[in-house]
Amino acid sequence: MPANSEPQHTTNTAQHVTDLAERVVILPKHLHARPAGQVAQAAARHQATTIELVSGNRRADARSVLAVMALGAVTGGEVRVIVAGPDATVVANDIVGLLERPDTDE
Amino acid sequence: MVGIVLISHSKGLAEGAAELAGQIAGGARVFPAGGTDDGRLGTSTELIGAAITAADTGDGVLLIPDLGSAVLSARSVLAELDPEHGGKRIMLVDAPFIEGAVAAAVAASGGLDLEMVASAAEEARDARKL
Repeated sequence: MPANSEPQHTTNTAQHVTDLAERVVILPKHLHARPAGQVAQAAARHQATTIELVSGNRRADARSVLAVMALGAVTGGEVRVIVAGPDATVVANDIVGLLERPDTDE
Repeated sequence: MVGIVLISHSKGLAEGAAELAGQIAGGARVFPAGGTDDGRLGTSTELIGAAITAADTGDGVLLIPDLGSAVLSARSVLAELDPEHGGKRIMLVDAPFIEGAVAAAVAASGGLDLEMVASAAEEARDARKL
């Protein structure tokens, strides 16, 4: 990895490109079970990509629906989405979309 | 997609857990096998076998038992079924019932394979609620 403090940069290796992306979402609703499930499903579809959610002093691997639910992230709270791996920007946008527009009835 | 069978002593518990996991993991294939053949508390090898058949699409089936003798019933079904039959694999996993069902359903609906779905269920043991 090159020394680089930019929030988003690209590292070229022999075989692939590793992207980093970081976004912040202000939750429009509590992070309930169903949106947590949607986030974890999306994370499961991107096995090569590391997706982490940070809320306050808690961190969750987005692949673990139980960890995402245990963030206890509430309406108006800030959730940081940190993505590393192939298509990080696209994946981050997907996750942000699920957090900003949860398809949930509580 | 990997199918999931929830084996409980209680018909209501198995059905409720399957409903919950299916809601959180939209599109998941979660089937309840709870209670005895006539709906009392207990487990039924016939209901378990039928749920496995319903859950099986060829990508494997994960069995999650609630307590002790659900494991015994699951094992006796497996012994008769031959877990490798026709290349279709069936696994019994040691996991918390609700958390394991939800974690496994999300993993399965995300397209993960049987080993990874089983790992997701097992890892649920270490997930803290508070």
